[in-house]
Amino acid sequence: MTVIAAVPTSGPGASEQFEQLYRSSAADVYAYVASLLRDRTAAEDVTALAFERAFRRRALFDVRRGTPRSWLFAIARNAALDELRRRRRSGALLHDVADTSSEFEDLDPDLADRRLLVREGLAELAAGDREVILLKFVGRLSNAELARVLRCSESNAGTRLHRAIVRLREVCGVTQ
Amino acid sequence: MSRNELSAAEREELDALERIIAREPVGERHLELAALVDSVRAGAPRMDPAFAARLDAEVAERTARRRQRSVTPRLARRPGLRRIALASGGLVAAAVAFTIVISSGVLNGGSHTPSVESGLSGTPLIVPRTPSATAAPATSKRSPTIAAPTAGAGAGASNFAASPALHGAARLVHKDSTLTLATSPATMQGVANRIVAATERTGGVVASSNVAIAGAASHASFTLAVPSGHLDHLIATLSALASVRALNQSTNDITDSYNQEQARLADNAATRSALLAQLATAATAAQQATIQKQLNRLEARIAAEHREIARLENQGHTATLAVAVVAGASAAKHAASAGPFTTAFNRGLHALEAILAIALVALAIVLPFALSALALWWGVTSVRQRARERAMRTA
Repeated sequence: MTVIAAVPTSGPGASEQFEQLYRSSAADVYAYVASLLRDRTAAEDVTALAFERAFRRRALFDVRRGTPRSWLFAIARNAALDELRRRRRSGALLHDVADTSSEFEDLDPDLADRRLLVREGLAELAAGDREVILLKFVGRLSNAELARVLRCSESNAGTRLHRAIVRLREVCGVTQ
Repeated sequence: MSRNELSAAEREELDALERIIAREPVGERHLELAALVDSVRAGAPRMDPAFAARLDAEVAERTARRRQRSVTPRLARRPGLRRIALASGGLVAAAVAFTIVISSGVLNGGSHTPSVESGLSGTPLIVPRTPSATAAPATSKRSPTIAAPTAGAGAGASNFAASPALHGAARLVHKDSTLTLATSPATMQGVANRIVAATERTGGVVASSNVAIAGAASHASFTLAVPSGHLDHLIATLSALASVRALNQSTNDITDSYNQEQARLADNAATRSALLAQLATAATAAQQATIQKQLNRLEARIAAEHREIARLENQGHTATLAVAVVAGASAAKHAASAGPFTTAFNRGLHALEAILAIALVALAIVLPFALSALALWWGVTSVRQRARERAMRTA
Protein backbone atom coordinates (compact mmCIF):
# COMPACT_ATOMS: atom_id res chain seq x y z
CA MET A 1 0.00 0.00 0.00
CA THR A 2 1.24 3.47 -0.79
CA VAL A 3 2.44 5.21 2.32
CA ILE A 4 2.07 8.92 2.22
CA ALA A 5 3.25 11.27 4.88
CA ALA A 6 0.85 13.61 6.61
CA VAL A 7 -0.04 16.82 4.85
CA PRO A 8 1.83 19.54 6.72
CA THR A 9 0.06 22.84 6.67
CA SER A 10 3.16 24.94 6.91
CA GLY A 11 6.89 24.73 6.70
CA PRO A 12 9.23 24.31 3.81
CA GLY A 13 8.08 20.76 2.99
CA ALA A 14 4.36 21.49 2.88
CA SER A 15 4.08 22.13 -0.85
CA GLU A 16 6.29 19.20 -1.77
CA GLN A 17 4.23 16.80 0.32
CA PHE A 18 0.99 18.02 -1.15
CA GLU A 19 2.46 17.54 -4.63
CA GLN A 20 3.49 14.04 -3.61
CA LEU A 21 -0.05 13.29 -2.45
CA TYR A 22 -1.40 14.68 -5.70
CA ARG A 23 0.94 12.61 -7.89
CA SER A 24 0.21 9.38 -6.04
CA SER A 25 -3.55 9.88 -5.95
CA ALA A 26 -4.69 11.98 -8.91
CA ALA A 27 -5.30 9.07 -11.31
CA ASP A 28 -7.05 7.00 -8.64
CA VAL A 29 -9.22 9.90 -7.51
CA TYR A 30 -10.20 10.57 -11.10
CA ALA A 31 -11.01 6.89 -11.72
CA TYR A 32 -13.14 6.75 -8.57
CA VAL A 33 -14.99 9.98 -9.36
CA ALA A 34 -15.51 9.08 -13.02
CA SER A 35 -16.93 5.67 -12.03
CA LEU A 36 -19.31 7.31 -9.59
CA LEU A 37 -20.49 10.01 -11.95
CA ARG A 38 -20.15 8.06 -15.21
CA ASP A 39 -19.43 11.34 -16.93
CA ARG A 40 -15.86 12.19 -17.93
CA THR A 41 -16.36 15.95 -18.19
CA ALA A 42 -18.03 16.14 -14.81
CA ALA A 43 -15.35 13.82 -13.38
CA GLU A 44 -12.62 16.18 -14.56
CA ASP A 45 -14.37 19.14 -12.94
CA VAL A 46 -14.96 17.26 -9.71
CA THR A 47 -11.38 15.95 -9.58
CA ALA A 48 -9.99 19.43 -10.05
CA LEU A 49 -12.42 20.73 -7.43
CA ALA A 50 -11.41 18.00 -4.99
CA PHE A 51 -7.73 18.89 -5.24
CA GLU A 52 -8.53 22.57 -4.95
CA ARG A 53 -10.58 21.93 -1.81
CA ALA A 54 -7.89 19.67 -0.39
CA PHE A 55 -5.28 22.35 -0.98
CA ARG A 56 -7.47 25.00 0.59
CA ARG A 57 -8.43 22.85 3.57
CA ARG A 58 -5.05 21.29 4.21
CA ALA A 59 -4.93 23.24 7.49
CA LEU A 60 -7.94 21.23 8.69
CA PHE A 61 -6.31 17.89 8.04
CA ASP A 62 -5.95 15.93 11.26
CA VAL A 63 -3.54 13.01 11.15
CA ARG A 64 -5.39 11.37 14.07
CA ARG A 65 -8.50 11.04 11.95
CA GLY A 66 -6.98 9.17 9.04
CA THR A 67 -4.36 9.19 6.35
CA PRO A 68 -3.99 11.98 3.79
CA ARG A 69 -5.22 9.55 1.14
CA SER A 70 -8.47 8.72 2.95
CA TRP A 71 -8.93 12.43 3.66
CA LEU A 72 -8.49 13.22 -0.01
CA PHE A 73 -10.91 10.48 -1.11
CA ALA A 74 -13.48 11.74 1.41
CA ILE A 75 -13.22 15.21 -0.12
CA ALA A 76 -13.54 13.76 -3.62
CA ARG A 77 -16.52 11.66 -2.56
CA ASN A 78 -18.34 14.67 -1.10
CA ALA A 79 -17.64 16.69 -4.24
CA ALA A 80 -18.88 13.86 -6.47
CA LEU A 81 -22.05 13.39 -4.40
CA ASP A 82 -22.69 17.12 -4.48
CA GLU A 83 -22.41 16.92 -8.26
CA LEU A 84 -24.90 14.02 -8.31
CA ARG A 85 -27.30 16.05 -6.16
CA ARG A 86 -26.92 19.06 -8.43
CA ARG A 87 -27.69 16.93 -11.43
CA ARG A 88 -30.71 15.39 -9.79
CA ARG A 89 -32.05 18.83 -8.95
CA SER A 90 -31.45 20.22 -12.42
CA GLY A 91 -32.36 16.99 -14.22
CA ALA A 92 -29.09 17.18 -16.17
CA LEU A 93 -28.27 14.23 -18.36
CA LEU A 94 -25.01 12.35 -18.52
CA HIS A 95 -22.71 13.99 -21.05
CA ASP A 96 -20.94 10.91 -22.21
CA VAL A 97 -20.25 7.36 -21.37
CA ALA A 98 -17.08 6.83 -23.28
CA ASP A 99 -16.87 3.73 -25.37
CA THR A 100 -13.53 2.35 -24.32
CA SER A 101 -13.98 -1.15 -25.63
CA SER A 102 -11.12 -0.52 -28.04
CA GLU A 103 -8.79 -0.19 -25.02
CA PHE A 104 -8.49 -3.96 -24.75
CA GLU A 105 -8.04 -4.72 -28.48
CA ASP A 106 -4.36 -5.48 -28.08
CA LEU A 107 -4.90 -7.90 -25.22
CA ASP A 108 -5.41 -11.61 -25.24
CA PRO A 109 -9.09 -12.12 -26.29
CA ASP A 110 -9.92 -14.01 -23.10
CA LEU A 111 -8.40 -11.32 -20.91
CA ALA A 112 -10.05 -8.59 -22.95
CA ASP A 113 -13.43 -10.36 -22.62
CA ARG A 114 -12.94 -10.72 -18.91
CA ARG A 115 -12.07 -7.07 -18.45
CA LEU A 116 -15.06 -5.96 -20.49
CA LEU A 117 -17.26 -8.30 -18.47
CA VAL A 118 -15.98 -6.88 -15.20
CA ARG A 119 -16.43 -3.33 -16.45
CA GLU A 120 -20.01 -4.02 -17.45
CA GLY A 121 -20.64 -5.88 -14.22
CA LEU A 122 -19.29 -2.97 -12.25
CA ALA A 123 -21.60 -0.62 -14.12
CA GLU A 124 -24.55 -2.83 -13.23
CA LEU A 125 -23.79 -2.77 -9.52
CA ALA A 126 -25.65 -0.50 -7.14
CA ALA A 127 -23.78 2.79 -6.67
CA GLY A 128 -22.93 1.93 -3.06
CA ASP A 129 -21.36 -1.41 -4.03
CA ARG A 130 -19.54 0.10 -6.98
CA GLU A 131 -18.16 2.82 -4.74
CA VAL A 132 -16.78 0.46 -2.13
CA ILE A 133 -15.15 -1.72 -4.84
CA LEU A 134 -13.53 1.30 -6.44
CA LEU A 135 -12.31 2.74 -3.15
CA LYS A 136 -10.69 -0.59 -2.33
CA PHE A 137 -9.42 -1.83 -5.69
CA VAL A 138 -8.53 1.49 -7.32
CA GLY A 139 -8.16 3.77 -4.31
CA ARG A 140 -6.19 1.09 -2.45
CA LEU A 141 -7.59 2.18 0.89
CA SER A 142 -7.28 0.02 3.95
CA ASN A 143 -10.50 -1.03 5.69
CA ALA A 144 -9.90 1.62 8.34
CA GLU A 145 -9.50 4.27 5.63
CA LEU A 146 -12.55 2.90 3.86
CA ALA A 147 -14.54 3.24 7.08
CA ARG A 148 -13.37 6.83 7.41
CA VAL A 149 -14.46 7.73 3.89
CA LEU A 150 -17.80 5.90 4.13
CA ARG A 151 -18.43 7.18 7.68
CA CYS A 152 -19.04 3.76 9.15
CA SER A 153 -17.23 1.33 11.44
CA GLU A 154 -14.27 -0.67 10.20
CA SER A 155 -16.13 -3.96 10.57
CA ASN A 156 -19.09 -2.54 8.68
CA ALA A 157 -16.72 -1.37 5.94
CA GLY A 158 -15.30 -4.92 5.72
CA THR A 159 -18.77 -6.43 5.49
CA ARG A 160 -19.87 -3.97 2.84
CA LEU A 161 -16.71 -4.66 0.87
CA HIS A 162 -17.16 -8.40 0.99
CA ARG A 163 -20.80 -8.18 -0.03
CA ALA A 164 -19.90 -5.88 -2.92
CA ILE A 165 -17.27 -8.38 -4.12
CA VAL A 166 -19.82 -11.20 -3.94
CA ARG A 167 -22.32 -9.15 -5.98
CA LEU A 168 -19.67 -8.25 -8.52
CA ARG A 169 -18.87 -11.91 -8.94
CA GLU A 170 -22.54 -12.66 -9.34
CA VAL A 171 -23.17 -10.05 -12.05
CA CYS A 172 -20.00 -11.09 -13.84
CA GLY A 173 -20.93 -14.76 -13.59
CA VAL A 174 -17.58 -15.50 -11.95
CA THR A 175 -17.36 -18.37 -9.52
CA GLN A 176 -14.89 -18.40 -6.69
CA MET B 1 -23.70 -13.83 13.91
CA SER B 2 -24.24 -10.06 13.82
CA ARG B 3 -24.84 -8.12 10.66
CA ASN B 4 -21.25 -6.98 10.43
CA GLU B 5 -19.58 -10.22 11.39
CA LEU B 6 -17.77 -12.14 8.69
CA SER B 7 -17.04 -15.83 8.58
CA ALA B 8 -13.47 -17.03 8.85
CA ALA B 9 -13.36 -17.72 5.11
CA GLU B 10 -14.64 -14.26 4.32
CA ARG B 11 -12.10 -12.68 6.64
CA GLU B 12 -9.37 -14.72 5.01
CA GLU B 13 -10.48 -13.48 1.62
CA LEU B 14 -10.35 -9.88 2.83
CA ASP B 15 -6.85 -10.49 4.18
CA ALA B 16 -5.87 -11.87 0.82
CA LEU B 17 -7.37 -8.79 -0.80
CA GLU B 18 -5.13 -6.61 1.35
CA ARG B 19 -2.11 -8.53 0.11
CA ILE B 20 -3.27 -8.26 -3.51
CA ILE B 21 -3.71 -4.49 -3.11
CA ALA B 22 -0.23 -4.31 -1.59
CA ARG B 23 1.08 -6.34 -4.57
CA GLU B 24 2.16 -9.19 -2.32
CA PRO B 25 1.92 -12.84 -3.41
CA VAL B 26 -1.26 -14.76 -2.55
CA GLY B 27 -2.23 -18.41 -2.56
CA GLU B 28 -3.66 -20.15 -5.56
CA ARG B 29 -7.20 -20.06 -4.23
CA HIS B 30 -7.13 -16.25 -4.29
CA LEU B 31 -5.83 -15.88 -7.82
CA GLU B 32 -9.38 -15.34 -9.05
CA LEU B 33 -9.72 -12.40 -6.65
CA ALA B 34 -6.40 -11.03 -7.86
CA ALA B 35 -7.64 -11.28 -11.43
CA LEU B 36 -10.85 -9.48 -10.44
CA VAL B 37 -8.88 -6.67 -8.84
CA ASP B 38 -6.67 -6.47 -11.90
CA SER B 39 -9.69 -6.30 -14.20
CA VAL B 40 -11.35 -3.57 -12.17
CA ARG B 41 -8.14 -1.55 -12.12
CA ALA B 42 -7.50 -2.04 -15.79
CA GLY B 43 -11.04 -1.03 -16.64
CA ALA B 44 -11.05 2.03 -14.42
CA PRO B 45 -11.46 5.30 -16.29
CA ARG B 46 -8.22 7.04 -17.09
CA MET B 47 -7.55 10.72 -17.19
CA ASP B 48 -7.43 12.39 -20.56
CA PRO B 49 -3.76 13.43 -21.07
CA ALA B 50 -4.81 17.01 -21.82
CA PHE B 51 -6.80 17.20 -18.59
CA ALA B 52 -3.96 15.56 -16.67
CA ALA B 53 -1.57 18.21 -17.99
CA ARG B 54 -3.99 21.00 -17.08
CA LEU B 55 -4.43 19.62 -13.57
CA ASP B 56 -0.67 19.17 -13.17
CA ALA B 57 -0.13 22.79 -14.16
CA GLU B 58 -2.85 24.01 -11.83
CA VAL B 59 -1.53 22.11 -8.83
CA ALA B 60 2.03 23.14 -9.63
CA GLU B 61 0.95 26.77 -9.83
CA ARG B 62 -0.88 26.62 -6.50
CA THR B 63 1.93 24.88 -4.66
CA ALA B 64 4.46 27.28 -6.19
CA ARG B 65 2.39 30.20 -4.94
CA ARG B 66 2.28 28.55 -1.55
CA ARG B 67 6.05 28.09 -1.58
CA GLN B 68 6.47 31.77 -2.42
CA ARG B 69 4.19 32.71 0.46
CA SER B 70 6.04 30.49 2.89
CA VAL B 71 9.25 32.42 2.26
CA THR B 72 7.49 35.80 2.53
CA PRO B 73 8.03 37.34 5.95
CA ARG B 74 5.01 36.66 8.13
CA LEU B 75 4.47 40.37 8.83
CA ALA B 76 4.27 41.17 5.14
CA ARG B 77 1.39 38.78 4.61
CA ARG B 78 -2.12 40.11 4.46
CA PRO B 79 -4.22 38.57 7.21
CA GLY B 80 -7.08 36.43 6.03
CA LEU B 81 -10.67 37.60 6.30
CA ARG B 82 -11.42 34.82 8.78
CA ARG B 83 -8.56 35.89 11.01
CA ILE B 84 -9.67 39.52 10.85
CA ALA B 85 -13.24 38.50 11.71
CA LEU B 86 -12.05 36.33 14.61
CA ALA B 87 -9.76 39.03 15.93
CA SER B 88 -12.50 41.68 15.63
CA GLY B 89 -14.99 39.42 17.38
CA GLY B 90 -12.53 38.73 20.15
CA LEU B 91 -11.74 42.42 20.59
CA VAL B 92 -15.43 43.37 20.67
CA ALA B 93 -16.15 40.64 23.22
CA ALA B 94 -13.19 41.73 25.34
CA ALA B 95 -14.28 45.38 25.13
CA VAL B 96 -17.85 44.53 26.13
CA ALA B 97 -16.58 42.31 28.93
CA PHE B 98 -14.22 45.03 30.12
CA THR B 99 -17.06 47.56 30.17
CA ILE B 100 -19.31 45.17 32.10
CA VAL B 101 -16.59 44.36 34.59
CA ILE B 102 -15.68 48.01 35.08
CA SER B 103 -19.32 49.04 35.50
CA SER B 104 -19.91 46.25 38.02
CA GLY B 105 -16.93 47.44 40.02
CA VAL B 106 -15.04 44.17 39.99
CA LEU B 107 -11.83 46.03 39.33
CA ASN B 108 -12.20 47.86 42.60
CA GLY B 109 -11.58 44.73 44.57
CA GLY B 110 -14.56 42.43 44.27
CA SER B 111 -15.98 41.56 47.68
CA HIS B 112 -14.53 44.60 49.37
CA THR B 113 -15.78 47.06 46.80
CA PRO B 114 -17.14 50.09 48.57
CA SER B 115 -20.68 51.04 47.69
CA VAL B 116 -20.66 54.79 47.38
CA GLU B 117 -24.00 56.47 47.82
CA SER B 118 -24.68 60.14 47.71
CA GLY B 119 -27.61 61.72 49.46
CA LEU B 120 -27.47 64.64 47.07
CA SER B 121 -27.58 62.96 43.72
CA GLY B 122 -26.93 65.21 40.80
CA THR B 123 -25.71 68.05 42.95
CA PRO B 124 -22.00 68.59 43.11
CA LEU B 125 -20.49 68.57 46.52
CA ILE B 126 -19.18 72.08 46.87
CA VAL B 127 -17.59 73.33 50.00
CA PRO B 128 -16.83 76.96 49.22
CA ARG B 129 -13.32 78.01 50.00
CA THR B 130 -13.99 81.73 49.69
CA PRO B 131 -17.19 83.65 50.23
CA SER B 132 -18.94 85.18 47.31
CA ALA B 133 -17.73 88.71 47.03
CA THR B 134 -21.10 89.90 45.85
CA ALA B 135 -22.79 88.24 48.79
CA ALA B 136 -21.34 90.61 51.35
CA PRO B 137 -24.00 93.01 52.61
CA ALA B 138 -23.32 96.71 52.58
CA THR B 139 -23.42 96.87 56.36
CA SER B 140 -20.87 94.10 56.79
CA LYS B 141 -17.71 95.19 58.48
CA ARG B 142 -16.00 91.80 58.41
CA SER B 143 -16.02 89.11 55.86
CA PRO B 144 -15.34 85.71 57.45
CA THR B 145 -14.24 83.00 55.09
CA ILE B 146 -16.53 80.05 55.01
CA ALA B 147 -13.80 77.48 54.48
CA ALA B 148 -11.88 78.55 57.54
CA PRO B 149 -14.46 79.78 59.97
CA THR B 150 -13.29 81.75 62.95
CA ALA B 151 -16.72 82.72 64.18
CA GLY B 152 -17.62 79.89 66.49
CA ALA B 153 -20.24 79.52 69.16
CA GLY B 154 -18.26 81.80 71.36
CA ALA B 155 -18.40 84.74 69.03
CA GLY B 156 -19.21 87.86 70.97
CA ALA B 157 -22.80 88.97 70.98
CA SER B 158 -21.61 92.50 70.58
CA ASN B 159 -20.34 91.74 67.12
CA PHE B 160 -23.48 92.56 65.16
CA ALA B 161 -21.98 92.37 61.68
CA ALA B 162 -23.76 89.72 59.66
CA SER B 163 -21.84 86.97 57.86
CA PRO B 164 -22.25 86.98 54.10
CA ALA B 165 -25.08 85.01 52.57
CA LEU B 166 -24.21 82.20 50.13
CA HIS B 167 -25.44 82.47 46.57
CA GLY B 168 -24.95 80.70 43.26
CA ALA B 169 -22.45 77.85 43.17
CA ALA B 170 -21.15 78.52 46.68
CA ARG B 171 -23.05 76.03 48.83
CA LEU B 172 -22.66 75.03 52.40
CA VAL B 173 -23.05 71.27 52.69
CA HIS B 174 -22.71 68.84 55.54
CA LYS B 175 -21.02 65.53 54.71
CA ASP B 176 -21.91 62.38 56.55
CA SER B 177 -20.18 59.06 55.78
CA THR B 178 -20.09 55.56 57.13
CA LEU B 179 -17.20 53.21 56.49
CA THR B 180 -17.16 49.51 57.32
CA LEU B 181 -13.79 47.79 57.44
CA ALA B 182 -12.96 44.14 57.96
CA THR B 183 -9.80 42.81 59.49
CA SER B 184 -8.65 39.75 61.39
CA PRO B 185 -9.31 39.68 65.15
CA ALA B 186 -5.56 39.65 65.76
CA THR B 187 -5.08 42.99 64.02
CA MET B 188 -8.26 44.64 65.35
CA GLN B 189 -6.50 46.63 68.06
CA GLY B 190 -3.77 47.77 65.66
CA VAL B 191 -6.34 48.95 63.15
CA ALA B 192 -8.26 50.78 65.88
CA ASN B 193 -5.10 52.59 66.99
CA ARG B 194 -4.28 53.55 63.42
CA ILE B 195 -7.79 54.92 62.89
CA VAL B 196 -7.38 57.24 65.87
CA ALA B 197 -3.91 58.31 64.76
CA ALA B 198 -5.01 58.95 61.17
CA THR B 199 -7.97 61.01 62.40
CA GLU B 200 -5.76 63.20 64.53
CA ARG B 201 -3.26 63.64 61.71
CA THR B 202 -5.99 65.03 59.45
CA GLY B 203 -7.08 67.53 62.09
CA GLY B 204 -10.14 65.61 63.15
CA VAL B 205 -11.33 64.41 66.51
CA VAL B 206 -12.68 61.12 67.75
CA ALA B 207 -16.14 62.00 69.04
CA SER B 208 -16.74 58.51 70.38
CA SER B 209 -15.14 55.10 70.15
CA ASN B 210 -15.83 51.57 71.22
CA VAL B 211 -13.35 48.71 70.78
CA ALA B 212 -14.11 45.15 71.86
CA ILE B 213 -11.54 42.39 71.35
CA ALA B 214 -13.28 39.03 71.67
CA GLY B 215 -11.90 36.63 69.09
CA ALA B 216 -14.13 36.22 66.08
CA ALA B 217 -16.68 38.59 67.63
CA SER B 218 -14.15 41.44 67.90
CA HIS B 219 -15.43 44.76 66.68
CA ALA B 220 -14.73 48.45 66.92
CA SER B 221 -16.73 51.55 66.14
CA PHE B 222 -15.78 55.19 65.96
CA THR B 223 -17.57 58.44 65.34
CA LEU B 224 -15.12 60.88 63.88
CA ALA B 225 -15.46 64.59 63.23
CA VAL B 226 -13.08 65.76 60.58
CA PRO B 227 -12.67 68.93 58.50
CA SER B 228 -14.84 68.45 55.39
CA GLY B 229 -11.92 69.13 53.09
CA HIS B 230 -9.97 66.25 54.61
CA LEU B 231 -12.78 63.69 54.63
CA ASP B 232 -11.83 62.01 51.33
CA HIS B 233 -8.19 61.82 52.35
CA LEU B 234 -9.11 60.27 55.70
CA ILE B 235 -11.41 57.73 54.03
CA ALA B 236 -8.60 56.78 51.64
CA THR B 237 -6.17 56.44 54.54
CA LEU B 238 -8.55 54.29 56.58
CA SER B 239 -9.43 52.15 53.54
CA ALA B 240 -5.77 51.16 53.27
CA LEU B 241 -5.76 49.88 56.85
CA ALA B 242 -8.15 46.98 56.21
CA SER B 243 -10.51 45.54 53.62
CA VAL B 244 -13.36 47.87 52.82
CA ARG B 245 -16.72 46.15 53.22
CA ALA B 246 -18.94 49.20 52.65
CA LEU B 247 -18.70 52.91 52.18
CA ASN B 248 -21.76 55.14 52.23
CA GLN B 249 -21.59 58.87 51.74
CA SER B 250 -24.37 61.41 52.00
CA THR B 251 -24.50 65.19 51.91
CA ASN B 252 -27.01 67.64 53.32
CA ASP B 253 -27.26 71.10 51.76
CA ILE B 254 -27.67 73.65 54.59
CA THR B 255 -27.12 76.75 52.46
CA ASP B 256 -30.76 77.88 52.67
CA SER B 257 -30.88 77.63 56.49
CA TYR B 258 -27.61 79.50 56.68
CA ASN B 259 -28.84 82.27 54.36
CA GLN B 260 -32.11 82.63 56.27
CA GLU B 261 -30.24 83.05 59.56
CA GLN B 262 -27.96 85.61 57.97
CA ALA B 263 -30.96 87.59 56.66
CA ARG B 264 -32.64 87.54 60.08
CA LEU B 265 -29.42 88.68 61.74
CA ALA B 266 -29.07 91.57 59.28
CA ASP B 267 -32.68 92.66 59.94
CA ASN B 268 -32.21 92.53 63.70
CA ALA B 269 -28.95 94.45 63.47
CA ALA B 270 -30.73 97.18 61.51
CA THR B 271 -33.56 97.26 64.06
CA ARG B 272 -31.03 97.51 66.88
CA SER B 273 -29.35 100.50 65.23
CA ALA B 274 -32.72 102.22 64.89
CA LEU B 275 -33.58 101.53 68.55
CA LEU B 276 -30.21 102.89 69.69
CA ALA B 277 -30.92 106.07 67.75
CA GLN B 278 -34.35 106.31 69.37
CA LEU B 279 -32.82 105.71 72.80
CA ALA B 280 -30.41 108.58 72.32
CA THR B 281 -33.27 110.96 71.54
CA ALA B 282 -35.78 109.64 74.11
CA ALA B 283 -37.30 112.54 76.04
CA THR B 284 -38.60 110.74 79.12
CA ALA B 285 -37.31 108.05 81.44
CA ALA B 286 -40.35 105.87 80.62
CA GLN B 287 -39.54 106.04 76.91
CA GLN B 288 -35.92 105.14 77.64
CA ALA B 289 -36.98 102.17 79.76
CA THR B 290 -39.32 100.86 77.03
CA ILE B 291 -36.66 101.16 74.32
CA GLN B 292 -34.07 99.56 76.60
CA LYS B 293 -36.39 96.58 77.15
CA GLN B 294 -36.83 96.17 73.37
CA LEU B 295 -33.06 96.42 72.94
CA ASN B 296 -32.46 93.69 75.52
CA ARG B 297 -34.88 91.31 73.79
CA LEU B 298 -33.26 92.09 70.46
CA GLU B 299 -29.77 91.49 71.83
CA ALA B 300 -30.86 88.05 73.04
CA ARG B 301 -32.26 87.20 69.59
CA ILE B 302 -29.11 88.44 67.87
CA ALA B 303 -26.95 86.34 70.16
CA ALA B 304 -29.08 83.25 69.41
CA GLU B 305 -28.79 83.93 65.69
CA HIS B 306 -25.02 84.20 65.97
CA ARG B 307 -24.91 80.87 67.72
CA GLU B 308 -27.09 79.25 65.05
CA ILE B 309 -24.95 80.69 62.26
CA ALA B 310 -21.82 79.43 63.99
CA ARG B 311 -23.41 76.00 64.40
CA LEU B 312 -24.33 75.84 60.70
CA GLU B 313 -20.86 76.95 59.64
CA ASN B 314 -19.35 74.34 61.89
CA GLN B 315 -21.66 71.72 60.40
CA GLY B 316 -20.60 72.77 56.91
CA HIS B 317 -16.95 72.56 57.70
CA THR B 318 -16.91 69.49 59.84
CA ALA B 319 -17.84 66.15 58.32
CA THR B 320 -18.96 63.16 60.32
CA LEU B 321 -17.45 59.78 59.64
CA ALA B 322 -18.77 56.68 61.38
CA VAL B 323 -16.27 53.83 61.15
CA ALA B 324 -17.14 50.25 62.00
CA VAL B 325 -14.44 47.58 62.06
CA VAL B 326 -15.59 43.99 61.98
CA ALA B 327 -13.66 40.75 62.24
CA GLY B 328 -13.59 38.84 58.98
CA ALA B 329 -11.71 35.73 57.93
CA SER B 330 -11.32 36.95 54.36
CA ALA B 331 -9.75 40.09 55.69
CA ALA B 332 -6.97 38.22 57.44
CA LYS B 333 -4.80 38.67 54.39
CA HIS B 334 -5.33 42.38 54.53
CA ALA B 335 -3.61 42.86 57.81
CA ALA B 336 -3.06 46.39 58.91
CA SER B 337 0.61 45.73 59.16
CA ALA B 338 0.83 44.66 55.52
CA GLY B 339 4.22 45.48 54.12
CA PRO B 340 4.99 46.67 50.60
CA PHE B 341 5.48 43.11 49.37
CA THR B 342 2.09 42.02 50.71
CA THR B 343 0.44 45.11 49.26
CA ALA B 344 2.01 44.43 45.88
CA PHE B 345 0.99 40.79 46.10
CA ASN B 346 -2.60 41.78 46.94
CA ARG B 347 -2.68 44.23 44.08
CA GLY B 348 -1.40 41.57 41.72
CA LEU B 349 -4.06 39.22 43.02
CA HIS B 350 -6.73 41.84 42.40
CA ALA B 351 -5.41 42.42 38.87
CA LEU B 352 -5.56 38.68 38.19
CA GLU B 353 -9.07 38.61 39.61
CA ALA B 354 -10.06 41.41 37.25
CA ILE B 355 -8.48 39.66 34.26
CA LEU B 356 -10.29 36.45 35.16
CA ALA B 357 -13.55 38.35 35.50
CA ILE B 358 -13.04 39.93 32.08
CA ALA B 359 -12.21 36.55 30.57
CA LEU B 360 -15.29 34.97 32.15
CA VAL B 361 -17.60 37.72 30.93
CA ALA B 362 -16.04 37.53 27.46
CA LEU B 363 -16.58 33.79 27.50
CA ALA B 364 -20.17 34.29 28.59
CA ILE B 365 -20.68 36.58 25.63
CA VAL B 366 -18.88 34.46 23.07
CA LEU B 367 -20.04 31.03 24.26
CA PRO B 368 -23.74 31.28 23.27
CA PHE B 369 -22.78 32.56 19.83
CA ALA B 370 -20.15 29.86 19.41
CA LEU B 371 -22.54 27.12 20.55
CA SER B 372 -25.27 28.41 18.24
CA ALA B 373 -22.83 28.53 15.34
CA LEU B 374 -21.62 25.02 16.19
CA ALA B 375 -25.17 23.67 16.36
CA LEU B 376 -26.01 25.37 13.07
CA TRP B 377 -22.85 24.00 11.44
CA TRP B 378 -23.56 20.52 12.78
CA GLY B 379 -27.16 20.66 11.55
CA VAL B 380 -26.21 21.89 8.10
CA THR B 381 -23.44 19.29 7.82
CA SER B 382 -25.74 16.45 8.88
CA VAL B 383 -28.47 17.46 6.47
CA ARG B 384 -25.98 17.81 3.64
CA GLN B 385 -24.39 14.45 4.39
CA ARG B 386 -27.78 12.76 4.41
CA ALA B 387 -28.59 14.37 1.08
CA ARG B 388 -25.29 13.09 -0.29
CA GLU B 389 -25.99 9.55 0.86
CA ARG B 390 -29.43 9.79 -0.70
CA ALA B 391 -27.81 10.92 -3.93
CA MET B 392 -25.51 7.90 -3.76
CA ARG B 393 -28.41 5.51 -3.26
CA THR B 394 -30.32 6.93 -6.20
CA ALA B 395 -27.28 7.19 -8.48
